[in-house]
Amino acid sequence: MSSEARQDGEVRVFSDYTRDFEEDADVVVVGSGPSGSVVAYELAKAGHKVVLIEEGPPFTPQEFRADGNISMARTMREGGLRSTTGTFMPILQAICLGGGSLINSAMCVRPPAFIFDEWSTRYELDHTTRADLDPHYDAVSEFLGIAPTPEDVQGPRNLLFRQGCEALGIASEPVDRNVRGCRGSGECFSGCRARAKQSMDISYIPEAMKFGARVLTSLQVQGVLGEGRRVRGVEGRVVEPFSGRTSHAFRVRARWVVLAAGCMATPVLLQKSGNLANASGQVGQNLQFHPGSAVAGVFPESIDPIFGGTQSYQSLAFLEEGFKLETMWSAPAALAVRMPGVGAELVHRFGELPRTAIWDAIASTHRSLGTVKARFRSLNPVIRWTLHPEDVKVMLRSIHVLAQIFFAAGAEKIMPGVGGLPEEMHSREEAEVLRDYAIRPADLVTASSHVFCTTRMHGDPAQGVVDEEGRCHGYDNLYIADTGIFPRCPSVNPMLTVMALAHRQAQSLAERV
Amino acid sequence: MGGIVLIVLAVFAARRVWLGYPATGAEFAVLAPREEAFLQAAAEALFPPHADLPVSGGQADLPGYADRYLAVLPRRQRTLIRALFALFEHATLLWPGKGRGGFKRFSALSPEQRLGVLRDWQSSSLALRRLCLTALKAILILGYVGHPESLAALELAPWKIDSPRVEADFLYPPIGGHRDQISRVGEPLETAPTAPPLVPGLDQEAP
Ligand SMILES: Cc1cc2nc3c(=O)[nH]c(=O)nc-3n(C[C@H](O)[C@H](O)[C@H](O)COP(=O)(O)OP(=O)(O)OC[C@H]3O[C@@H](n4cnc5c(N)ncnc54)[C@H](O)[C@@H]3O)c2cc1C
Ligand code: SF4
Repeated sequence: MSSEARQDGEVRVFSDYTRDFEEDADVVVVGSGPSGSVVAYELAKAGHKVVLIEEGPPFTPQEFRADGNISMARTMREGGLRSTTGTFMPILQAICLGGGSLINSAMCVRPPAFIFDEWSTRYELDHTTRADLDPHYDAVSEFLGIAPTPEDVQGPRNLLFRQGCEALGIASEPVDRNVRGCRGSGECFSGCRARAKQSMDISYIPEAMKFGARVLTSLQVQGVLGEGRRVRGVEGRVVEPFSGRTSHAFRVRARWVVLAAGCMATPVLLQKSGNLANASGQVGQNLQFHPGSAVAGVFPESIDPIFGGTQSYQSLAFLEEGFKLETMWSAPAALAVRMPGVGAELVHRFGELPRTAIWDAIASTHRSLGTVKARFRSLNPVIRWTLHPEDVKVMLRSIHVLAQIFFAAGAEKIMPGVGGLPEEMHSREEAEVLRDYAIRPADLVTASSHVFCTTRMHGDPAQGVVDEEGRCHGYDNLYIADTGIFPRCPSVNPMLTVMALAHRQAQSLAERV
Repeated sequence: MGGIVLIVLAVFAARRVWLGYPATGAEFAVLAPREEAFLQAAAEALFPPHADLPVSGGQADLPGYADRYLAVLPRRQRTLIRALFALFEHATLLWPGKGRGGFKRFSALSPEQRLGVLRDWQSSSLALRRLCLTALKAILILGYVGHPESLAALELAPWKIDSPRVEADFLYPPIGGHRDQISRVGEPLETAPTAPPLVPGLDQEAP
């Protein structure tokens, strides 16, 4: 391998790699999602030599595609078709500079204190209360300009949710988002053409580069180098965007390694690196999600659903019951996919799209656990997960509440999407069947983009992979920053929390490095 | 005797799977004529002509759409989707259409028979069959509802947005391209974008 002398503060893309190469750094960060970007920025700012490695390419607005299938195939792992086995559930995970932040809806939510109290008591985490993390939430919020979605870009479909909640006395609020100058296009899932969303690729990463960070995209890390209590860097191959074809080899030697490759990829990397950091046997275990279920409601008049922040209104009123309610929009054709029926009845339902809103619930399914295991000769994992019957009941309850909110907001009918029940319901009374329905996991059409716990944080090294600062138990210089370190699902959208944890981790790392 | 049975079965399977698909002259990156025929037949059954939308499934070139989608998928996922098409095309051997000739491949059934077959998949007691239909619908609905004429008729045409250029747009070349392809025209925005909220109708693309 040749040693290429590179200038600091640069981004490299696929076409830049013409041969095998090696690099040196103080810190190598693997994965440029919300967690990795915060760590890279904070450490670069503190004066350290940082290399940030990302498997996916950078996207600019010219690269965004409105078509849901094609957009997902370009920006998501396994062409957007990754799913669990056991209980089948599609799961969405990004492969691009900025990770999930490029194609998420920018919802930034701090979990209430009781969530962290549970974390602290169950997982022996003495310094991870909400009060401990608030300064880190504040720092990230200030950097990204996180603020409640203003009224002028809510649009009718978000405000109808508020109206329905108000009519029922359910607390609701505009969503805080990492957005500056939102125009209400509702297209966050395919990338923000208005350049309003402060995804990592346009916020933390360029700022990290100003402090000298080198950002190497289209590199797939395939292994962590190390022996004993110390790791020495990472190695892997150049990977062509979209085709996934690999070519030149690379190695980055570093004094500190931070894995931020996401909750699915990090455990696989550890497993492929000689079962690293797995004295506890917890790597790849304890997998949790926030499975989502959506209800469509049809209103008597057009509600111009295309306009409004993608997910701009929410209710945290049911967190203790185990679910959170949100509004939602995406490419209209992608939303049409949840319309029941075939033939003329299906096409008729498409005709109702201008009058249709979709609201969803994410559930804290603590009882539904799974595993992530490395697949032979592939970094795509085998993901096993089983939805627990008690958790299904919580999800059904969330659908019932959404149905009530729809009717309270004036919907003329809803489509609850529950197998075995009528495809359409026309009144609150009719929707009461949702209250006591003997639901089975297979009755729900669900999906998730929130994944957790596969390298969980635990005060006891025998029960977890990392400590409260994200350092792998038993290792001096190996850290994990992504949502895999959550000890439990956080019950609210995870991006802000993973960034706050990364901010804390970076601060303590900055002192050690 | 066993050998003859095997040969007969092999001939039957080859005829059923590969032969007799008309050449339409359409050129695809991925799709074979048999898949084109299946997709066209499924599109016609799923999305018949309807007053609410200006194009029917048969007119929306869904084979072309599916081909573009398959072309960007990783190999493993592409193979799975193609297997899904083959499953629907030939599962009539197991779950035939109603009436005469119900065992023919899906694309050779009458429009009513095809609709009936899809309804059976939808109401099946097997969750896996329902799931397969959802997957097939997902691919075709995105192409059908996402067709520019459908979107325009539904007042859901895409927004016209002139993306402001931020600092990062001066850093990243087009995917697969070189640094010298980064446009240097103009200056990056120094403050947050200030364009006003979009207005439905006014700021949407014309069909
Ligand atoms: C469609 C969607 C919508 C969402 N909406 C919201 C929302 O509104 N609010 C919210 O809070 N959360 C949301 N989420 C979840 C949120 O985006 C994720 O929780 C968050 O991105 C996790 O950050 P991370 O850094 O842990 O991992 P990721 O964002 O997954 O980043 C990991 C990065 O590592 C890279 N990588 C993986 N393996 C390798 C390797 N071997 N070599 C090099 N690089 C590698 C990946 O390509 C990826 O870019 C959403 C997610 C999705 C997919
Ligand atoms: S709603 Fe539209 S303008 Fe607003 S942040 Fe999302 S993609 Fe950007």
